[in-house]
Amino acid sequence: MTGAQLVLKVLQQHGIKHVFGYPGGAIMPIYDAFYDSDLKHFLCRHEQGAAFSAVGYARSTNGVGVCMATSGPGATNLVTGLADALLDSIPVVAITGQVFSSLMGTDAFQEVDVLGMSLAVTKHSFLVEDINDLAKILHEAFELAQSGRPGPVLVDIPKDIQIGQVDFEPYPIPTRVLPEFNLADVEAAKALIQQAKNPVAYIGGGVGMADAVDELNEFLQATQIPAVSTLKGLGTIAPDYPYYTGMIGMHGTKASNLAVQECDLLICIGARFDDRVTGKLDTFAPNAKVIHLDIDVAEFGKLRQPDVAIKGDFKQLIPALKTKVDITPWQAKISALNVEHAWRYDAPGEGVFAPALLNELSQRLPTNHVVSCDVGQHQMWVAQHMSFTSPYNHLSSGGAGTMGFGLPVAIGAQIARPNTTSVVVTGDGSFMMNIQELGTIKRFNLPIKIVLLDNQRLGMVKQWQELFFEERYSETNLSDNPDFVALARAFDLTAKTIHSKFEVSDAITQMLETDGPYLLHVVIDDKENVWPLVAPGKANHEMIEG
Amino acid sequence: MIRHRFNIVAKQQPATVERVLRVVRHRGFILQSVNVSSSDKAQVEIELTVSGERPIETLQTQLDKLYDIAHLELISADTAAQAASIRA
Ligand SMILES: Cc1ncc(C[n+]2csc(CCOP(=O)(O)OP(=O)(O)O)c2C)c(N)n1
Repeated sequence: MTGAQLVLKVLQQHGIKHVFGYPGGAIMPIYDAFYDSDLKHFLCRHEQGAAFSAVGYARSTNGVGVCMATSGPGATNLVTGLADALLDSIPVVAITGQVFSSLMGTDAFQEVDVLGMSLAVTKHSFLVEDINDLAKILHEAFELAQSGRPGPVLVDIPKDIQIGQVDFEPYPIPTRVLPEFNLADVEAAKALIQQAKNPVAYIGGGVGMADAVDELNEFLQATQIPAVSTLKGLGTIAPDYPYYTGMIGMHGTKASNLAVQECDLLICIGARFDDRVTGKLDTFAPNAKVIHLDIDVAEFGKLRQPDVAIKGDFKQLIPALKTKVDITPWQAKISALNVEHAWRYDAPGEGVFAPALLNELSQRLPTNHVVSCDVGQHQMWVAQHMSFTSPYNHLSSGGAGTMGFGLPVAIGAQIARPNTTSVVVTGDGSFMMNIQELGTIKRFNLPIKIVLLDNQRLGMVKQWQELFFEERYSETNLSDNPDFVALARAFDLTAKTIHSKFEVSDAITQMLETDGPYLLHVVIDDKENVWPLVAPGKANHEMIEG
Repeated sequence: MIRHRFNIVAKQQPATVERVLRVVRHRGFILQSVNVSSSDKAQVEIELTVSGERPIETLQTQLDKLYDIAHLELISADTAAQAASIRA
C-alpha cells in the first residue's frame, strides 16, 4: 500500500475513528486515501479549528485527538491549538504534509520548516525521512502523546513518503508500564497528613487525566480533608463533598483562597503551582508543608519546594495515601467559610446577570453534558457558577487561555460524544476568533448550543483597564459587533436574543428543547465584572470584591 | 553566574541538538560552550556548559524529558552550584 494509506491504517490501529483537518497540496495523497477509507474525516474551516476540535475530542473522552493539515500555512495554522494542548497536557497527534524531500530546504512552494517551528509547541515532533520508519514513528507518536505527562505530538510527512510503497504490518498495542512509587516516600507523606491540623488537598487536571477521579473521591471520603480545585481540575471533586470550597486562585472563591493561605499542609495532586493559582508565589500558603504528587518530576520544586514529592500513577498512588486524620475544628472552619462566602445571585435591575444565568443553565442541563467556553470574564463565570461532575465535562483553556477555543472544542466533543448535550459559553470577542467553525456545525448539523454573553467589550481586558490602567479603555470597545443572530441564521442555526432576566428561563428551555444547533445571544451589561479578584502581584488572601 | 556541565547521549534525529539548545535558553540558562560529536549513525554525544542563576535541577529535569535523550549526566558544578542545588 502507499504511505498515505498506511497513515490511515495506523490511526485505525490506535482506535481512531474521527480525524479533523483541512486538505492542501502537500497532504493530497493522504486525503486521496480518505476517499475510500472508513476512517471519518471532518472538514473544519480553518486548521486552528481542526487542532482545537482534536483537543475537544481528546479532553471530552480522556483519549487522543487527531488533526491534519497541509504544509506551510496549513501547518502554521495548527500552532495555537498545539500550544494550547502543550500547556494543558492534552494528547493530540497532528499530522502535516510536507513538500517532497528533494525540495526541502529550497524554499519550495508552501515549504515551512515545520519541525523547527514545532519545537516550542509540542511534547515531541518527528520528520519522516524514510518510508520504512513511517509506521514506527506513528506508533511512537501515539505512545508519546498519551504516556507520562500527555501532550501534543506532530508528525511531518513529505509527499514522496506519502506516495511511496510500503507493507502494512499488524501492531500489538503495548501495555503501558506504570511507574513504581517509593513506599518510604508514601509513609513520609502519610506521616505529614497524620500530623496536620489544617490540611488542604489542592487538586489539578492531572487527576482526571490519570483516570483517577474515583480514587480521589474515595480518598476524600475516607479522610474528609478539605479540598480546592484548579481551573482544569473542576469536575474532579464531587460537587456535594462537604469540605469542597471551589476553585482556587485569581478568580477563585474566597473560601478556597483563605483555606489554602491558612493551611499547614498542602497536598498538591496533579497541579503545578501556576501563577494564576498562587498569586504572589512567596506569600502562597505561607505556613504549609507541601506534598507534591505528579507524573512529571520536572514539576517538583519548579516553583514551590515540596517536603515530600512522589512520582506515580494516581490510580495506585492516591489510594496508598489513605490514612486517619483528626481535624474536626478545621472542618468546622471550612464549613463556616463556605457559608460565609457563598455565591449570591440576587442582582439589581432587569438586565441579565450572567452568573445567575449560568447557574440556572448548569442546574437544568441533562447529566450527560459537556460545556466548553472561551476566554475572558465569561470563562471565569462558567468556572465559578456552573457545577461539574466530571473533568471531561468542563473544557476550558487553562494554561494558554486561548480565545477561540470554545466553538471548535465543542465540535470535537460533540463528535466524540454524540449523545451528549454540548454547550459553548462564549464572549463576543472570543466568538469571532473561530467564527468560521459555524460552517462545520452546519456541514455536519451538530446540535451544539451556543450561549453568547455579549457585553460589547473585550470584557476581561476592559476589567483590568478599569482596575489597573485608570479606566483608559484602549481598543476594548466592540460596540460595532455584527448582528450575531443574522450571522448564526446564515449558517442555519436557530437564534434568539434576550435582554432581560425575566426571559432567561424560557430561553434556556427553548434552547435545550431545540433539536439542532442553537445560538442564544444574551445582551449583558458592559460594567459587570468578575469577582472576587486577586490583583496581579498580590497575595491570595488580599482578594478584592466589586 | 554559576556554571554547570552536562554530558548527554542522544538519538541522532532531525532537530535533536536544536531541542537541547532551545530548552537551555527557554529555561533561563546561557550557553557557554557546546561540543557535538557523533561516533555512529544512530547516536550523538553532546557536551554542554551552561550558566545561570536558577536551580540547575530545573534544567536537568526538563532536558531529561526530551524523548531523544538516552542518557543525561550533570558531571560538574562548582561549589557554589552544589550549595545552590542543596538549598533548592
Ligand atoms: C488569542 C487571544 N488573544 C488575546 C487574548 C487576551 N484576552 C484575554 S480575555 C480577552 C477578552 C475576551 O473578550 P470576550 O471574548 O468578549 O469575553 P469577555 O471577557 O467579555 O467575557 C482578551 C482579549 C487571549 N486570551 N487570547
